[in-house]
Amino acid sequence: MTTLNRAWGHLTLTGKVLLPLLFLLLVVAPVLTVLVAVFVGPWVVDVLASNIGIVRFVVAVTGVLLFSIPAAFIIIYMELKVIARMNLRVGPNRVGPAGAAMSVVHGLKVLSKEDFTPTGADRLVFTWAPVIVFLTAVMTFLVVPFGPGLVGQDLNIGLLYLFAVGGMTVVGLLMAGWASFNKYSLLGGLRSAAQVVSYEIPLTLSVVGLILLAGTMSMNRIALDQQGGFWDWFVFRQPLGALIFFIAATAEANRTPFDLTEADSEIVAGFATEYSGMRFGFLFFAEYVNVFIVSALMVTLFFGAWNAPFPFPHVDLALDPGSLGIGLLILIAAAPLVLTLLFAAPFYLARSSTPAWQALVLGFITFNVVAVGLLFGVAYVGLDWIAGLVWFMVKSFIFVFVFVWMRATLPRIRIDQLMGFAWKWLLPAALLNLFVTAAAILVVDALKAG
Amino acid sequence: MTPATPHQHASADDPRILLDDQIGAFETVPPYPPRTEREAEFYSLGDGEMFLNMGPHHPSTHGVLRVVLKINGEQVVDLDPVLGYLHRGVEKLCENSDYHHIISQVDPLEYVSSLFCEWAPVMAFEQLLDVEVPRRAEYIRVLTGELLRISSHALFQGFMALDLGGLTPILYGFIERDEIVEMLASITGQRMLFNYFRIGGVNGDLNHEFMSRLGDWMSRALVQVEANATLLNENELFVRRMRGIGIVDRDMALRMGVTGPNIRAAGVPFDLRRSHPYSVYPELEFNIPTRGHERGGDSLDRYLLRLDEIRESIRIIDQCLHNMPDGPVMARLPRLMRPRPGRAWAAVEAPRGLFGTYAVSDGTDQPFRLKIHDPSFVNLQLVPLLVKGNLVADTMAVMSSLDPIMGGVDK
Repeated sequence: MTTLNRAWGHLTLTGKVLLPLLFLLLVVAPVLTVLVAVFVGPWVVDVLASNIGIVRFVVAVTGVLLFSIPAAFIIIYMELKVIARMNLRVGPNRVGPAGAAMSVVHGLKVLSKEDFTPTGADRLVFTWAPVIVFLTAVMTFLVVPFGPGLVGQDLNIGLLYLFAVGGMTVVGLLMAGWASFNKYSLLGGLRSAAQVVSYEIPLTLSVVGLILLAGTMSMNRIALDQQGGFWDWFVFRQPLGALIFFIAATAEANRTPFDLTEADSEIVAGFATEYSGMRFGFLFFAEYVNVFIVSALMVTLFFGAWNAPFPFPHVDLALDPGSLGIGLLILIAAAPLVLTLLFAAPFYLARSSTPAWQALVLGFITFNVVAVGLLFGVAYVGLDWIAGLVWFMVKSFIFVFVFVWMRATLPRIRIDQLMGFAWKWLLPAALLNLFVTAAAILVVDALKAG
Repeated sequence: MTPATPHQHASADDPRILLDDQIGAFETVPPYPPRTEREAEFYSLGDGEMFLNMGPHHPSTHGVLRVVLKINGEQVVDLDPVLGYLHRGVEKLCENSDYHHIISQVDPLEYVSSLFCEWAPVMAFEQLLDVEVPRRAEYIRVLTGELLRISSHALFQGFMALDLGGLTPILYGFIERDEIVEMLASITGQRMLFNYFRIGGVNGDLNHEFMSRLGDWMSRALVQVEANATLLNENELFVRRMRGIGIVDRDMALRMGVTGPNIRAAGVPFDLRRSHPYSVYPELEFNIPTRGHERGGDSLDRYLLRLDEIRESIRIIDQCLHNMPDGPVMARLPRLMRPRPGRAWAAVEAPRGLFGTYAVSDGTDQPFRLKIHDPSFVNLQLVPLLVKGNLVADTMAVMSSLDPIMGGVDK
């Protein structure tokens, strides 16, 4: 009892309120669940079915939120490892195979750190800034088509939505910079505002030519427009647009050589200087989510979205598991055992020093690899959304690699060079691209009509 | 403002616990009234200006230099370097150490190229003691010194890129430095503070490991240096950050007493190895590269000049290896040294410029006074002149192109 009393004494006021509520919830929740399932369940299903649009939206939002976490983890690991190799270092190699769990450990570290708010900071704004930065980054996923049918919301103004939501990131960065009560943060926030506002214009203008060609702003329709093969990708019809988009999007994502907002050799960490713990984690996370978004956009708009460079080898799998009857049972029960033994045999026979158990483990692993490979192959051939997802991811990560490569190679540019480049070069080039595209469309239409 | 009481949930980092005046934690302005006119002028803000406290803990101030910038937006209006965060009182320590001990006291001054910090006092003491240094020892000094000059310049190249935001060149620079430092470790036993030169020679002859490492490295040194340089020299972003920034012209360089690569980049061929020859440099063939004829000595000139010097140093090492005579590496000297009362000045051309020592002997086994002239300290005087009117980002480009080492500046 004294232990309980002591533990109670250690709790903060919030804890003293929340803990009884938590107990209450634990007791009440199962009862409530049963009651809801029995009495309200059918009604809920009805409501959900009649509002399928909203349900789809909520599922999509949850989906992209869940997707962004592994995506960012993979990119963080990739950045650590690729930059290390380019620097002639080894990179992370302790946690997990070849250091693959490094980003997970990074996440845990960030979670376990003190969540510190500096004295003099505007607490409310300081707290909400990372949330806005993170959410705006993640919400852009909503209109990106990951594969045929794999799109959160097929908005007919998808591109417009993207630029609108993507442009809101700067609000979060500015909030972080202002609320931190730190001059480095302030400089970082102001730099990001200047940078994002300038580069938003060439970024938007660079895709207007593409919109004219595609005749739509829906991301899904743009993806469908590039169906066919390698030569149907928009990059061959809009090479200048693709180049401008790539440069401007790099600046939008605050990546090297445009990472002035967090220039470590000048303003320490920019807007993130005063952040620690999970709030810093969100800012950090948002950066890598942005890298993926930018890569995904490059792929969707200019590099054929989820279309393979050659037509899908699509086969209609008319497999009915029920028709196998007892054969299916035998397959499930016996195939793993037999195949494991089969794959173990070469390991056992090849070297006399290999003990039987090692050979069995190796055989089991080989069987799993082969089974997953087979399953994947069948899925790739049979389900076009799997094939689309694979191609989308492969192409996106090629661009992620390019971003990481740029980070390892290029120095940072100066703020006046940054602004000069946007207004003197990118904007005229984007306008030129737009005019040439529009003129070409007119000429082609006139030729077709005449 | 009432002092905030430390309450239960305050973080240990919360400055309210330590300070009764909250604002004091954030203020750049010193707590005392201005002592000079310059201070009074600097610490009064104009319209739209603010102070930015850069350092002493900052990623790119090369140690513990603190620069108070007065900025207007991104533009630097004025700045005030604050020194002394690494002050150890080396000169006073030297006055209380005997002549052998001083070599290890001055070692950490320019910690990137510490042999040069030993070389100057050792030469001064040899003048005081009238010691004839064996020729082989002189050749070894030149050889190791030039190796360390290459390592220092290779590291400069990397740090220059790091301050401009490039991540990779610093690691390439460290590869070269690591090779050289391992090489020197095989004869000195240390990787950083070698403590190798002695009054009247050097501590130990060259050995097999050193020679095999050196031969291995020399066979690819030039190619490696060129390869590392292409990553930067042909990068338009890098060149644009450096070109036309921080121009030190001939007059300014002479007026400010700048030495080393920084004055040669301004077009003045001043190199102690030629203008006041010491050791065996008169016997060696090498050029004094100068730059600054087209652009008038900007950051890019200073960067490129150091690359030229690496090439010249490789030439010198080659000649040292060919001309090195046999013989002892240490003069015969008594254990306890009591030089005649008098004074001696000796200076060497360190990677950052003239590193000099002025020793006054009173006939005891400790110097009466040992004045150390460090080139970084003089070169750092240029920063306020060069940075004013530029952008915050250029502060880094200019400061790292002057290549200061705070160990020597603060002594």
